[in-house]
Amino acid sequence: MGRLSQGQMIAAVGGIALLVAMFLPWVGINGPSLPSGAQLPGGIDTSTSENIWKGSSLDIYLLITGVVAILPALLAVTDSSEEFSFVSAATLLLGAVAVILVIAFLTVDFPDGADRKIGAFIGLGAAIVIAIGGFRAMQEEVAGEI
Amino acid sequence: MDTNRLSQGQLVAAIAAIALFIISFLPWFDISGAVTVGGTTIGGSKNFNLWQAENPLDIYLLIVILVALVPAALALLGDGGDAPMASMATALLAGIGTLLILYQIFDTPGDLDRKVGLFLGLIACAGIAVGGYLSMQEDVGGERY
Repeated sequence: MGRLSQGQMIAAVGGIALLVAMFLPWVGINGPSLPSGAQLPGGIDTSTSENIWKGSSLDIYLLITGVVAILPALLAVTDSSEEFSFVSAATLLLGAVAVILVIAFLTVDFPDGADRKIGAFIGLGAAIVIAIGGFRAMQEEVAGEI
Repeated sequence: MDTNRLSQGQLVAAIAAIALFIISFLPWFDISGAVTVGGTTIGGSKNFNLWQAENPLDIYLLIVILVALVPAALALLGDGGDAPMASMATALLAGIGTLLILYQIFDTPGDLDRKVGLFLGLIACAGIAVGGYLSMQEDVGGERY
């Protein structure tokens, strides 16, 4: 793990957080409102929540972004000698685009009448961390080449 | 405007990006249904282009188009400075875009049907990825990095 730069570690933490956040609730859907005075039996809840895997092509993109972000850490853990010169730039690029896509999902593309849940905000934060990690890793690579 | 300033890869990516932008306004998805009332069946269908379907793919493909077009535009305008990593960004984002469109073909959202725009969009996005890859090869050959 000592071979990992600070930027790569930041990106890897963001990547793991993003992959975990994808399984948390992103969209909350409330059931129909009951007539006043009516009550459901105990244990029955008309509201439900969905994670990002259901009904959005954002899931595949975020999966690719998370995997690319943790790739250098995975290679370090497995003691692989492989090095990809474009990984830091790719991490920055994919992270930055992920931030734009998650913000678009939370604003213009969000289902009408649904609630934004914690997973969406953790996912947005994780995407920002990935972009920052990728940017820092690129800077460290450039500094190492001088 | 001198297109000789563009490398072959940049030209391929730019043409495919313009094609993808035009294709985005063609029908990509279709929803149809029918009801029978008193023995009479009434049916209808509605087409959606890329921008009308509630799908983050539209924003993503717009980013792909811009990333493919900006380096070509800068080269055409005679801006001497190369956009660093532009070829890699074009190839990477368009490659992932091709995967996302392919995924939509096999896993169409809701009860929507596939229309011609989806397939043409796949080809155009793959064209951008190929152009980006060719441009990367040319960059390495010309030692632009």
